[in-house]
Amino acid sequence: MKFKYLFFLIPLLFSSCIEIIDDLTLNADGSGTLKFTVNLSSSKIKVNSILALDSLDGQRVPKLSEIEAKIGQFKSLLLQQDGISNVKTEFNAVDLIVKLTVDFKSLNQLQEGIQASLNAMNLNKKVTKEDVQWMSWEAGTLKRTMPEIFQQELKRYENNDISLLKGGSYACISRLPGQILKTSNNNCKINPSKTAAMLRINTFDLKNEPSILEHTLSTSP
Amino acid sequence: MPQKFILALLGLFNVGFSFGQGPEHHIPEQAVTVFSINNQKVLSNISLNELISYDFMDEIHQELFDRSTENKTLEDAGMDFNKRLNVFYGKTNYYELSGFTFGISNQQNLFQALDDFEAVPSPYPGIQLYRSFFNHLLIDKNNALLIRVEPLEDYVNQLTDSTWYSRGNLPPFYNEEEDPDNPDYNPIPQENNEINEKNYYELRDSLQYTLNQEYLTIILKDLYVSNNNLFRKDSNFRDLLTHEAAGVFFMDNSRNIDRAKNLWYLKTFLPTLYLDVQDLYEGNIITGDLLLLDQQIQFNLKAHYGDALGSIYTSLNDAKFDKNISNYIKKNQAAYFTYNVNLRNAYEKAFEVIVPILSKTKDPEVSYDLLMVKLANALINKDALFDAAKGSMFITFGGIEKVKTKRIEFFYDEVTFEYGEREAEAEEDMPIFTIGFSTKRQDIPEMVLEHLSQVTSKFQKQGDLWVYNKAIFEAAPLYLLNKKDLFILTNDSVLAKQYPNGYGKDRLSKKTLKGLKNAGSMAGYADLQALVNKFPKEFLSGSNQALIESLRSKSGTMHMHSGKTSKNSTEVQLTYDYTESLNSGKYLLDLINTLYLLNK
Repeated sequence: MKFKYLFFLIPLLFSSCIEIIDDLTLNADGSGTLKFTVNLSSSKIKVNSILALDSLDGQRVPKLSEIEAKIGQFKSLLLQQDGISNVKTEFNAVDLIVKLTVDFKSLNQLQEGIQASLNAMNLNKKVTKEDVQWMSWEAGTLKRTMPEIFQQELKRYENNDISLLKGGSYACISRLPGQILKTSNNNCKINPSKTAAMLRINTFDLKNEPSILEHTLSTSP
Repeated sequence: MPQKFILALLGLFNVGFSFGQGPEHHIPEQAVTVFSINNQKVLSNISLNELISYDFMDEIHQELFDRSTENKTLEDAGMDFNKRLNVFYGKTNYYELSGFTFGISNQQNLFQALDDFEAVPSPYPGIQLYRSFFNHLLIDKNNALLIRVEPLEDYVNQLTDSTWYSRGNLPPFYNEEEDPDNPDYNPIPQENNEINEKNYYELRDSLQYTLNQEYLTIILKDLYVSNNNLFRKDSNFRDLLTHEAAGVFFMDNSRNIDRAKNLWYLKTFLPTLYLDVQDLYEGNIITGDLLLLDQQIQFNLKAHYGDALGSIYTSLNDAKFDKNISNYIKKNQAAYFTYNVNLRNAYEKAFEVIVPILSKTKDPEVSYDLLMVKLANALINKDALFDAAKGSMFITFGGIEKVKTKRIEFFYDEVTFEYGEREAEAEEDMPIFTIGFSTKRQDIPEMVLEHLSQVTSKFQKQGDLWVYNKAIFEAAPLYLLNKKDLFILTNDSVLAKQYPNGYGKDRLSKKTLKGLKNAGSMAGYADLQALVNKFPKEFLSGSNQALIESLRSKSGTMHMHSGKTSKNSTEVQLTYDYTESLNSGKYLLDLINTLYLLNK
């Protein structure tokens, strides 16, 4: 079954009050766990009213059951990728919260696995390496930003409802194997034991300046 | 000799009747809806680019959207303002047709605007034929028809499937190589090796093209060989064009295929009965005059119908307005609509008219259903039924309000950056609607609500008020009021909690109430600025989204009320008042566009 309209969901996310938690735990060997959470519960009325339609702006709107099935398919495809294991997904259809947890052997394998899985789903847009290359770990330095695929949609979104954008946030959490020596972004909070960092930006500021989420974390060897 | 003279006169009359006059004689008889615009009054200051931006031009304008139309008025494009512009649309079970007819003052200028058309040999004597990628242009002296014909997608798909499977093919949408569960799955599309055989999509394209040519030929032969056209065929349409109006509207509802869809089962399985029921709609034609007045446009609509349908409508409209309704409409309400009918009278009359029609059939299923209807009629307490639902109702739109909802909030431990979930208060924008029905049996909805509250805790009684929690998208509550002989559903917490007995001095004025009482079965009002510009399109279905989009950025007010209902017609008047001193023709086209979207 083709699912060409699934990318319709991305603009939908950013026209709502969205909360994203991008929580990465890295081990010394470069393996780790990614927990990715998308929370749309603040825009339940808006999102549910859209999901109740057959189409919007000429594009078919998927049903909740179809989204759920597609999340299940993504999970199966991701599990088949090299270096990926222990994939768990959770979809709260009442509060509109999607959670993904995945263990990986390396960040490269994780990102390549996500790219291959999305492309295998026959979406209407070819997902490139750049679209899903948002983290790298090299010589004890973690480099993070927001996935390009989200950035593009944020740029397109007009400031029709600033309060919606200001109410949303993107939280980047990094838990690292060594002590964090320095960060390139002053807005990044480091925990007292210097093993974790969090950078949380509202989606309004992100839309205006996507680079404010970019940061590097250098750790002790 | 006198006979020859009469025949000659008739012949002349016939020729004149067919082609001698204006562009209205070039409207195919298959057209169901026509907007005929008086060019002098409406279009003289409209640019071509403005005109083709309207939805009613949507089906035919693709190739007009190029630089050839830039900065050109309709006059620059060679259009004759002394003749009408007629926009038409029609739909059969097999195809859709759309287009417009107009007069030409300068053919050379016309082709500078329509520069994508190329001349092709015409099989129709005296008619020049031009073709572009989507459309056909036919010119008869100084009148033109621009037409587009498209076979219906469902029909093309049906024929394609039928042909595809009859050739022994497998389902076209399944490819085991594309099945993600297949270990050999390769996401890169593979080329079709059978180059001499059409794949499913090529077959569908071929059928679509063939059908397109076939239907176009049927329509054009009918028009230019058999000399049939809507003007010649329909006396109501002819009569309409004599009206002194800026524009006129025509819809033959008896041929309205979307209405006929409801009768599809009858047509397929019980054709005799279908014909009997179809008779009810015989002569069901809707006509309208669009009048340009000082900062006002009036649309006077008249629905014509036969005696049988007329007798039902007359009974339906024999109703007294329930003045309690006005308590729940604010004097500054953004929009409201009232509907006032006598359900009991209408039921009795429909029973009297429709039961004899159904009785004619020998079909066991219909006969069984008819028995059930007759039994229900004999056994049900109609007094109780029609006291519970009396037939008057109202709907109001109260703008967009913030409503309290619940959301899941993530909270973070500032030391570990671990996070958890908790429920929190939220506010979301929501359009505020109220809908109310007249009832004399308040005990009946009360009984239902009592029962529901025992079944689910979502229904709660708070004093006189019923609350259905998380009723709207699992987020916002719905309030139910059972007061003053009205059963009201609303998501307006202010109305439900602060004005459960009505708005008091803030309700509709006595003058407006009098207008509603005199309005007949329907009345409505909308402040466009408050209604359209604030209405989130996400809450509407596809066709209504287009309607709202068409009205965006418009200001002014709209009033609608029905008038006299007789055995053969009902009148409805729609008035559009505006204050901005823009081109009045532009407002008229805006209104035509709205009506087009409503009727498409």
